[in-house]
Amino acid sequence: MFEREPNIDIVFRNGLKNLEVLPPADMWDNIPPMPVRHTRLRVISGIAAGVAALVSLTLLVTWYVRNNNTPVLLSEVTVPGDGLQGSPIDIMEASPISGTEDARIVRFVTLSDPAVPVVEAVPDLTADEPAVLIASADIPEQRTEPGEPVILFPDEITVINAGRFAGAEEGIMATMAEAKTAPAGQRFLVGASMSPAIGFSPSGNNQRLAELISSERSRPSYSTGVTVGYRISDRLTIQSGIGMASVGQTISDVNVYAGLSDFYAVKSSYLYSVETASGTILSGNTDLYLTGSKDRVGTLIQGNMADPSKYQLTQVGSDIQQVFRYLEMPVVLRYKVIDRKLGLNLSGGVAYGLLVDNTAYTGEGSDLIRVGHTEGINIHNISSQLGLGMEYSLSRKITFNLEPVFRYYMTPLSDISGSLYKPYSLGFWSGFSFKF
Amino acid sequence: MAKEKDIIEGCLSGSRRDQELLYRRYSPKLYAVCLQYAGNTEEARDVLQEGFIKIFENLSRFSHEGSFEGWMRRIIVNTALERYRSRYYLSRVDDIDEVTEPESEPDTDDFAGLEAYDLLNIIMELPPKYRMVFNLFAIEGYSHKEIGEMLGISEGTSKSNLSRAREILQKKVMILTGVTRRMVNV
Repeated sequence: MFEREPNIDIVFRNGLKNLEVLPPADMWDNIPPMPVRHTRLRVISGIAAGVAALVSLTLLVTWYVRNNNTPVLLSEVTVPGDGLQGSPIDIMEASPISGTEDARIVRFVTLSDPAVPVVEAVPDLTADEPAVLIASADIPEQRTEPGEPVILFPDEITVINAGRFAGAEEGIMATMAEAKTAPAGQRFLVGASMSPAIGFSPSGNNQRLAELISSERSRPSYSTGVTVGYRISDRLTIQSGIGMASVGQTISDVNVYAGLSDFYAVKSSYLYSVETASGTILSGNTDLYLTGSKDRVGTLIQGNMADPSKYQLTQVGSDIQQVFRYLEMPVVLRYKVIDRKLGLNLSGGVAYGLLVDNTAYTGEGSDLIRVGHTEGINIHNISSQLGLGMEYSLSRKITFNLEPVFRYYMTPLSDISGSLYKPYSLGFWSGFSFKF
Repeated sequence: MAKEKDIIEGCLSGSRRDQELLYRRYSPKLYAVCLQYAGNTEEARDVLQEGFIKIFENLSRFSHEGSFEGWMRRIIVNTALERYRSRYYLSRVDDIDEVTEPESEPDTDDFAGLEAYDLLNIIMELPPKYRMVFNLFAIEGYSHKEIGEMLGISEGTSKSNLSRAREILQKKVMILTGVTRRMVNV
């Protein structure tokens, strides 16, 4: 049987159903900004994009290597024969250069009547010029028919001079077959690098972001690490390695006072929040009182009643430093535009970064006080970089690089105000490489 | 007027403006719920603040399948319950098996002149343990078993608290509306 509901319940339920009471006016100021959490889909998309970029780069390198495995070591060869003894033939200019995998077919473009006079091939090598690879081929005469291509097999070609630079006094005596199996040596390189940089923060059309950024300045950032590389060809090198990168910014319109815990004890994990372009700093140090402009500072303290003058708090900082450190794994392709002792390199690549440190602190020198950490920072990021700089060969094995590098974060460091926050930086990549 | 879904998406992307918009739109109703459970304005402020932090933190979990207002209300009620449990957990009353109902009950029409604010004030004056049970049972529609689990009390205690709450409320309402006097005079 249906039990009748007491009328008093109905009276209160209906009476309170649409009741609205305006909360105190300052209530909103005490609610900190919502921490931005990235959806799993977004994180997966970011990682997938990074993996796709690396796979594409690998495929590109593989394609390049496979399509450039014709013998490039020889640019000139002397071929014996009637009227051609000692005559240098530029293989690179001979056309077509094709044939079986091991053979090199040379079409005598200069075979004419009268035959090309015999000339002793004496390379004119100057100190800073890259040395051409000089070779001679002992070919039976019957294989040098006028008007017919000459087929040169690797074991018929003897390398008599080779080297990066003429001044290096290199005189490798080897057959072409040997030269192919151990091409020019020094395929690998290891090195150490250091790259100081200065960052920039684009705000786009986001007004709030622009307002916040106007009181934030980038901290000088840097990345250091060790690199390993592989010379795909004389001009092209692929490099990777591992390093540590540090980026950050200074929030200049926030004042920090210490001593609050003597007057205000709480169990909360944080008391103050500071809205910044790269995320919200949550002040886990509950001894600190924070105040600032642009409504960027929020607090859980009711009515923000902590008054520094009333509580006699001590000012310990007039800004907050945000620091993010990433473990970085770059993959960079480096191309020698000018291949001289003092060369010019063009480089481009991507780097995967894993966030290993996220700290906000205040103070100066040795008196640094940890404030807390920044919420909403991506754990992973992918950045791209493009550089153009010089490479100086200190010796056959050691080179020094100095290269202005532009870096752009392809994935955002964080999200705020509906805008993707992707800083960029301009720096100098410098380092030494040892070839072996 | 911005659509609810747009505001939610704006909040999720980190827009402080949308967060404020959401707060301005729903905080009056939710603050009334806070007062209803908290009993005083100081406590209600804390519940609303804590509740909104939770709403923002869990906004990505809202599935858009049910009422958004209802979802937020549940968070506020749960926040109020958590605070109640932490403060009044040890304050229990003895179980009463037999629940006594008021002998005569006035008709709902007799309370027609009552304003919502009067009802809120009356409910806020209830002792916390009666207020919580009455709110959960009469307003939110939970069963005594559910209320017992929520508050860490037995079903019997929940029933007795409800009975006592009704008794107090009825008396206060009758005094406020003059029903008692009329009933006596009649």
